[in-house]
Amino acid sequence: MAGTGHAPLRDDHNVLLTVRDLEVEFPVGRNEVVHAVSGISFDVAEGETLGIVGESGCGKSTVAKSIVRLNDIKSGSIDYQGNDLAQMGGETLRQIRPDVQMIFQDPISSLNPRRKIRDVISEGIAVWGNTKGSWSQERIEELMVAVGIDPKFGERRPHQFSGGQCQRIGIARALALDPKVLICDEPVSALDVSVQAQVLNILEDMKARYGLTLLFISHDLSVVKNVSDRIIVMYLGKFCEIGNADELYERPRHPYTRALLASIPEPAPTVDVSEGDIEGELPSPIHPPVGCRFNTRCQHATDICFTEEPVMQQVGDRDHYLACHHPVEVSVG
Amino acid sequence: MSDLQLTVEDLYVRFPTSRGTVEAVNGVTFTLEKGQMLGIVGESGSGKSVTAKTLMNLLPRTAEVDGNITFEGEDVRAVAKERRKHFWGVKMTMVFQDPMTSLNPVKRCGEQITETLRYHLGDTNATAKNKAVDLLEQVGVPEPSKRVDQYPHELSGGLRQRVVIAMALACEPSLLIADEPTTAVDVTVQKRLLDLLDGLRRDRGMSMILITHDLGVARGRCDDVAVMYGGRLVERAPTETLFADSRHPYTEALLRTIPRIDQPIHTRLEPIAGRPPELIDPAEECAFALRCRYAQPDCLEAIPPVGGVKGQHEFACFHPANTARGRQALDANLAAGQTVTGLQIQAAAGMN
Repeated sequence: MAGTGHAPLRDDHNVLLTVRDLEVEFPVGRNEVVHAVSGISFDVAEGETLGIVGESGCGKSTVAKSIVRLNDIKSGSIDYQGNDLAQMGGETLRQIRPDVQMIFQDPISSLNPRRKIRDVISEGIAVWGNTKGSWSQERIEELMVAVGIDPKFGERRPHQFSGGQCQRIGIARALALDPKVLICDEPVSALDVSVQAQVLNILEDMKARYGLTLLFISHDLSVVKNVSDRIIVMYLGKFCEIGNADELYERPRHPYTRALLASIPEPAPTVDVSEGDIEGELPSPIHPPVGCRFNTRCQHATDICFTEEPVMQQVGDRDHYLACHHPVEVSVG
Repeated sequence: MSDLQLTVEDLYVRFPTSRGTVEAVNGVTFTLEKGQMLGIVGESGSGKSVTAKTLMNLLPRTAEVDGNITFEGEDVRAVAKERRKHFWGVKMTMVFQDPMTSLNPVKRCGEQITETLRYHLGDTNATAKNKAVDLLEQVGVPEPSKRVDQYPHELSGGLRQRVVIAMALACEPSLLIADEPTTAVDVTVQKRLLDLLDGLRRDRGMSMILITHDLGVARGRCDDVAVMYGGRLVERAPTETLFADSRHPYTEALLRTIPRIDQPIHTRLEPIAGRPPELIDPAEECAFALRCRYAQPDCLEAIPPVGGVKGQHEFACFHPANTARGRQALDANLAAGQTVTGLQIQAAAGMN
């Protein structure tokens, strides 16, 4: 459970965003800190959808918020087209913000209830004037049509829409400034299943139409698999496993990835249901375990797991990396 | 057929509001056998939680209830006043979605369990405390003798839900209603809680109603599954039948709309068009007709009654999926490119 190490980073001209050794801590109580994210590195290629899965408290939302600088970063770099977002501030950061937009979990509370949705969607353009995209009614209407909201409802306020519609309005708002990267933090978790598919399909459509790169965070393994090209599995502020989505679900190697896949109500056929029986509770992120962070609950843990932190390593020659001293052997098919 | 434990007949629940009367539950009828696990599946506003709260007599006073509920031979809605306080929470108990709101934050976990025992069974403090430790052990709480003296905020979400389950089990109920018991917890915790509930049900011969929005959860755990939509029970069948051979178009649509882990990545999902039905002044038509690929003129003229084979596979639809009649309706709609309600449809991959 280490996630330290740069093995998963690709040396490719297509890479749009590279996060290196990101560390985020939040102070709590007397001189203690929550180790929310502890030295993780990953990259996102242009046009790719990168999924991050993990349970509550694993730091997946903190990673997302760090990229848009919604929380302070202790150390590490976030390279976006030659700029280090982690070091930026003030006007230079503001200039780059339109490129990286975000949508949130609760669609209703992320829209200002007192504003008309036309104004909600157009605010970014109003702020940026004509420097980004053309500021016009047509642009707003085009966005509303694209996400399936009838433009004649532009004068309505958020409470007059359902949760699924509000989430689509949130997507339209994020797209107003022609972003390159869209960060989706649990975008469908608060929605009923019948509207979840609408929103996921719209995200896929928008990605194709506007050439977006997506960072998709969710706790739902089936949803993440559906939208992602590559997937990261996180646990307690570290990465366990990164891989091509199909590869990761067909040949999971990390005991924690396997536990997740065995715990879902209709378990993946590649794992045994008993692998989902992980003991105990999530350790405190204030005093995370030494060595591998999963060592307190892992069926395979041995002495080395309690002393030495595993480093991200490539599995064979595939696009598959994991941090484990005792990866589970799977047949290579 | 084994003994019937619970019979619900023609249950109606209405809430008068300033905007009109909300018709939350509309003629729900179902039975539960002893020891059975029944799943009730539906989306927000389908009436599943209101049905459960009606059984538990937890509705606000403004609610207008009509219909018959019989539990172990007794008419639940006519329990004598003096017996009421020891009726609910003893033989019939309930577990709610969010453990933090069902626990009192300023009371120790143990006290919350002993309170039930002292109140309903008249146990002394000492006996009750011993029982509480036992119960916590049974629900898999580690170090139960230490936990009884802890406050809810000192426990994780999974442990809190175990404490709530222990409270519900305190008086040895014969029916446990679990309303979204695992919605607020992570998947690994969910698995352990469902394993626990399943085990307890078998060990104690308890019946259970598991209310969930997650079809996967219902599929893995229940003997029978009932699907609710717009305050009505639209389909009920043994679990495998429901999933393999669903009759109601809503059930079929729900099954198709969920991303599945065994699908290839970027599989195009099939959303259910439109939005959930209005519960205030609903029209006299099938509540799903506006979103349904099978809709025909007769769907807009009357509310389909519950048909099918009683006690086996019941469904409320004029043109059920996976039948000749349903196929005919769908083919006609596909040929026309739209349904009678104007819903645009086209053949999707995998549709038959």
